[in-house]
Amino acid sequence: MDGNGRWAAQRSLPRTEGHRAAEVAVIDVIEAAHTAGVEWLSLYAFSTENWRRPAPEVDVLLRLVRRAVRKHALSLHTRGIRCRFLGVADPRIPPALARDIADLMTLTRDNRRMTLTVAFDHGGRRDIVEAARSLIRDGVPAELVTEESFARRLPHPDMPEVDLVIRTSGEQRISNFMLWQVAYAEWVFPRVLWPDFRAGHFWECLEVYRRRDRRFGAAQAPATTGKGCQ
Amino acid sequence: MSMSDATAAGTDADPLGPGSMLHQLTRQTRWGLVATRAIVLEAAHPQIGAALITNSTFVAHPWRRLRNTVLSAQRMVDPDARVRQREAARLNRLHARITGTDVEGRPFNAADSEARAWVVATLFESTVTMCRLSGESLDGPTLDRLYAEFQSFLALMDPYGGKLPPTLREFWRYYASVVEERLENTEAVHVVLDRLFAQVPAPPLLRDRPAVWAAGRALAGPAATAIVVASLPEPLRARLGLAELPGTRTLMHAAYLSTRLATRVLPEAWTRLDTVMTMLDPAYAPQRNDDVPAGAPAPEGLRALDGLRRGVSKAGALLRLLTPDPETPAAGDAATRSAARFFSEVLDQTGDGHLDWPDLAAMAREIATRLDLDVQDEDRLFAAFADWWRELQKELDTDGDGRITGHEYAAAAAAMAGSALIRIAEVLFDVTDTDDDQVIDAREYRALFRTAFDHDPGGGGEQLTRGEFVRRFLGFMAGRRHSGVYDQMFAQS
Repeated sequence: MDGNGRWAAQRSLPRTEGHRAAEVAVIDVIEAAHTAGVEWLSLYAFSTENWRRPAPEVDVLLRLVRRAVRKHALSLHTRGIRCRFLGVADPRIPPALARDIADLMTLTRDNRRMTLTVAFDHGGRRDIVEAARSLIRDGVPAELVTEESFARRLPHPDMPEVDLVIRTSGEQRISNFMLWQVAYAEWVFPRVLWPDFRAGHFWECLEVYRRRDRRFGAAQAPATTGKGCQ
Repeated sequence: MSMSDATAAGTDADPLGPGSMLHQLTRQTRWGLVATRAIVLEAAHPQIGAALITNSTFVAHPWRRLRNTVLSAQRMVDPDARVRQREAARLNRLHARITGTDVEGRPFNAADSEARAWVVATLFESTVTMCRLSGESLDGPTLDRLYAEFQSFLALMDPYGGKLPPTLREFWRYYASVVEERLENTEAVHVVLDRLFAQVPAPPLLRDRPAVWAAGRALAGPAATAIVVASLPEPLRARLGLAELPGTRTLMHAAYLSTRLATRVLPEAWTRLDTVMTMLDPAYAPQRNDDVPAGAPAPEGLRALDGLRRGVSKAGALLRLLTPDPETPAAGDAATRSAARFFSEVLDQTGDGHLDWPDLAAMAREIATRLDLDVQDEDRLFAAFADWWRELQKELDTDGDGRITGHEYAAAAAAMAGSALIRIAEVLFDVTDTDDDQVIDAREYRALFRTAFDHDPGGGGEQLTRGEFVRRFLGFMAGRRHSGVYDQMFAQS
């Protein structure tokens, strides 16, 4: 979800206005993915590196997230969307936000129509380090560590591998996003800034993905399951 | 199930066992009406009223008190007679510790036989009244059987003491004479009717939504008072100076009828007391066999309850997400709290504005109840609290009136961490560490705090050593630090 700052700068608005405008795009994309029958949608909202931004901007972001969680909780739940968060470990997260996040996960935990994973205070490397630590703590012998057993130590191990990552605003980097899960993902880089991203853009990205020939190093193309929006 | 169904199903020798009417009754939510009305009748008894006023935590911590009462009642009708005996013995010890003198200098004793017989009498009479007012008539044999069960209940509680009259006919004469001659216009009655219903704090489910609770209570509080008052015997109502307000009889009949209707029409699981308690207090744990290993499949009833618990936790989450919430918490909600807040939230258990022995005894009682301590451990715990009380009195009671005011406490609060408090922490560790392996494991932790291990950063992980346990207890009691588990035990209702 890149381009909030540039979107605001183009309009001579403070950066925080860009974050505010991003909420509409988030809801539009969730709705579009839901309608398209996407079963796994992940949004990269806040990385472990984002804490380095100026404190007032971080404050506004945290407040916006809390407001969005409270505002949309019921409509997400009634659409059968299970909401989960990835990360959310930093003590700087205000307790009220942490409780609302926990409440949203509790409320929607039995929904299965679509799983929305919000990467918040997320870092792909941190997840990998944590998985390695848990293997060491449990004294798992080296020969028993396989790709499958390692993947089971990652957070939300039931989540399938990512099929498609959409990164807006023309940026072409991974930026520490679900490093393990994106190994075979297809990437699409629309130039549109995130606050302007709408259902139509999402459909276009899906169309690009559909035309790609996914071979995983072999020769056949499997069915689609997961999407990521970065 | 109605009372008469229970009669048909019920049998024989065991008057308090699974087939008994009492066993059925104490599992139904409408028993709450019986218990509430009985409390008013009990509070009007001078001995019981004095004990309630000076020692009980039911005004300051009504939900905790309710939870303990419900668990105790369920143990008293447990299918296993040994569980009943053990609970009766525990209640006897608990009551024997509650003695004193009332405002007029008359001694009271919570283990007094006459007073206890009256408690059981009010529960029986309130049960009959509930059935009558909700349109459920009990025939002669059913009434006789119910009365016999209550007689057994009293005999279990007080095997060598007073008895209820042998026959029902004599019982009604006894009941009328107590109402006529013994009951008084006590302070305790008015505390129950005016303060308890009007000021009852939010149940744990709504604790962080005081506005929602206050709005509901403003309607329900006066209605609850009116319903209870309208169902009291006429002579008592006159003596209490409670005139009947127009419409309250109709309201009362409607309330009783709807409980019966609910019990008959709604699925049985919905009207069970466990269900309602679980809804109000997610930490409420109905009687569970702790010896079942964690991985074993839960029995049918518990599975249903766990499903319900999930539903309730979802409802609670939705409620919190949908109700408005101030964006930032008050500045006072830091890691520690002020001396004044600690005094009123934690130390003053009876809510009467000063600290004296009944407050500390209430803490010891709560711990003893949770851990279901045997005689020796209970004595050790109470002795440790008594030592602490003597130490506090010596250090803090500057005007020597035998009790400590909030002001006296605030002036010398630093003196709290004396050796007696450390002794309490050690005794608490010993009685919690039931397998004597010198660490508190997950099962022992759950018995004391009714919750799983917290993942406090820098905390003990899967077990707590003696040093860490003592450090946390002192941090809460002397350092006035917030602690989820101790707050839940002592501060929140």
